[in-house]
Amino acid sequence: MHVTAYFALLAAMIICLAGAVAALFALWRNDYGRLGMIEKGHLLATAGVVLASAILTVALWQRDFSFVYVAEYTDTLLPLFYALTAFWAGQAGSLLFWMLTLALFGVFFAVSPAYRSLSGPTRHAYWLFFLVVEAFFLLLLTGPSNPFLEAVPPVPEGRGLNPLLRNPGMIFHPPLLFMGYAGFAIPACLALAGWLTGERASFAAAARNTAILSWIFLSAGIILGGWWSYMELGWGGYWAWDPVENASLIPWLVSTAFIHTAIVERRTKALAKTNVALAVVTFVSCILGTYLVRSGVVESLHAFGEGGVAGPLLLFMLFTLVVLAAVLMAGAPFFADRVKPLTGLMSVPGFLVILAWLMLALSVVVFLGTLWPVISKLWSTNPVGLDAGFYNRVCLPLFALVTALVAFCPLMSWSEGVRDKAGLGLTVGAFVGGGAILYGLGIHLPVALFAGAASIAAMATVAYVFIRQRHARSLAGALGAYSVHLGLALVTLGIAFSGPYQLNQEAVLTPGKTMEIGGFTLTFKDLEFEENKAMAISRAVIDVTRDGKPVGVLTPERRIYTGFDQPFAEVSTIPSLGDEVYATLVSATEKKAASLKISVNPLINWIWIGGTLMCIAPFASLRRLRGKGE
Amino acid sequence: MAKKKNTPMYLVALALFLGGLGYLLYSGLGENTAYFLNVSEALAMPPKELSKARLFGTVAEEGIDRPADALGVSFTLLDKDQTAKTIRVDFKGVVPDTFKPGVEVIVEGGVNPASGAFSASTLMTKCPSKYQKENRG
Repeated sequence: MHVTAYFALLAAMIICLAGAVAALFALWRNDYGRLGMIEKGHLLATAGVVLASAILTVALWQRDFSFVYVAEYTDTLLPLFYALTAFWAGQAGSLLFWMLTLALFGVFFAVSPAYRSLSGPTRHAYWLFFLVVEAFFLLLLTGPSNPFLEAVPPVPEGRGLNPLLRNPGMIFHPPLLFMGYAGFAIPACLALAGWLTGERASFAAAARNTAILSWIFLSAGIILGGWWSYMELGWGGYWAWDPVENASLIPWLVSTAFIHTAIVERRTKALAKTNVALAVVTFVSCILGTYLVRSGVVESLHAFGEGGVAGPLLLFMLFTLVVLAAVLMAGAPFFADRVKPLTGLMSVPGFLVILAWLMLALSVVVFLGTLWPVISKLWSTNPVGLDAGFYNRVCLPLFALVTALVAFCPLMSWSEGVRDKAGLGLTVGAFVGGGAILYGLGIHLPVALFAGAASIAAMATVAYVFIRQRHARSLAGALGAYSVHLGLALVTLGIAFSGPYQLNQEAVLTPGKTMEIGGFTLTFKDLEFEENKAMAISRAVIDVTRDGKPVGVLTPERRIYTGFDQPFAEVSTIPSLGDEVYATLVSATEKKAASLKISVNPLINWIWIGGTLMCIAPFASLRRLRGKGE
Repeated sequence: MAKKKNTPMYLVALALFLGGLGYLLYSGLGENTAYFLNVSEALAMPPKELSKARLFGTVAEEGIDRPADALGVSFTLLDKDQTAKTIRVDFKGVVPDTFKPGVEVIVEGGVNPASGAFSASTLMTKCPSKYQKENRG
């Protein structure tokens, strides 16, 4: 089976390369008769990838430890569900998953009306770029990152899945990220293809659905990752600005910029060149994310090893950027007289451009911040790094500004000036009034106050347009977009409060002792011990009261899983839309002394609520491409 | 091109934007930087420059001082490669129970000029990740 799977991938790679060469020849000789063959070739390559993925899935299911990959990430005790999801627990498997998603995205796109709206030459150019991307991933999978290595001699038992990954949040976090990364290849290829052949219809229209869908996956992946970090890692936060987190945030920021400038192009025909560049940079930033995680260039808390893919990934990024520059030059003559100028700054396009600046600035800041230990070696003998305080200081004001843009943008006109004066009055009123109320409630930090006021204003604006404009309420209109922005406002509110106003306290308690935090009284009742086949558990039982009234019981645990000598913390919370009490059992002794880390997180659940809305609402914006463009 | 009409406003906005960003970056780089060092590198630097640093090292077998039922721990941190280079670390917070002799840890804090010991505000044990197996040659 190892050999079958490996050759399926190898054959897929050769087919992709052959298809790319055929597409290149067709473009070279202006002979577009063999499109059907290229499309069938892609289907065949996809079949190869699906076959290889199926073999890996079956091997995981049967715990076939003759596969090195299966032995590395599963064992016989692991429940079936987690065994199957070990597919993406390691580098080789996650790259295979990325490839599988990429191929399936390609298949679905090839039967979409968007694909059929393209001219013959553009379709050929699209396949040229897309098949090269696929061939690159297949090269990694058949070379440095092969998931089908055979264990010689076979091992009797696997090493088991990392307990940190045994959580629903972690199970779906990586594949969602990879699905997002994979999907953004299509807008990039369409952008290059359309610009190279001088396609009449903008690629932004054809790429719209794929871009939105990929953005949904990426956002969902990031939000789940934050939730997992909060619920599973037990340090009281959800975002630590660790290089691994930053690596997934950069593509999100760039793609958000792209999705918004693409709106400007579809409506006003401006920014065509910018969009080609942004679509490709989005794709490159997805690769960059993987590179940062896999290359070991930055010291991170997560000990990802160097898996032999760093060099190829770096080269491929540089290659893509060179191709982008070449295509932009080659296609420029087609577009010299077609592109319309941008309207003034005080208009919807103007605001969207500012938003793109903010997003790009944020991505550059996060990128440079992540690489600072490497960059600082230019002038310092010892590497200088940046702590989370740096990112919070630089990025949070920019995010607050984004929310303010979201509050005011719907009231602007597409051409110039304010469209809705009454709405503007309401939004300004909500901003000032909301800010005053928050100030009265004791929120005095400028950035938190501004962000809070901006999110209240943004919510008021969305409510106002929902009431006043039928367009905003209808599925065919902007319902999806406004709902995403409502979600963003809720997330902003959650971040603005749960970050700076979090209370933290650490204590060692013995049964019967109490502690106070933020108006809550916590009484440590007992420490329980429990043991079963899969794990040994110590559990602290803590009664929580506020002003004498019971609020709930916290039961943070420490678990020692069979096969791992390290204990893992299971966090316990008392869920609340206001102040959420959060407890981690950091260590416990035989004498029942428990070291506890308690925090009170105000409004934190609004991040997950708003984040969920941000991931669901864009589905309402997906629509069939009608005729020529929109 | 007709584009010229709107360009000045965008340029002014961009200048304002970059100015604000520049200020944020300047203040952030001034206050939120810390040296990322191995123990041997830290020892090679004058202590007064180490008021803010993040040290990477391994916990020594000997010399772990830990009150039984209270917070905090004092221990000797070894350089990952040159185990003769050591620094004493005082930590006041909750000690994670992944902390034990021989594990790799990351401490954040600064050198106390009086005692020469490193007083840490955070102590993290490195994630024993199995995302990728180690290369065993």
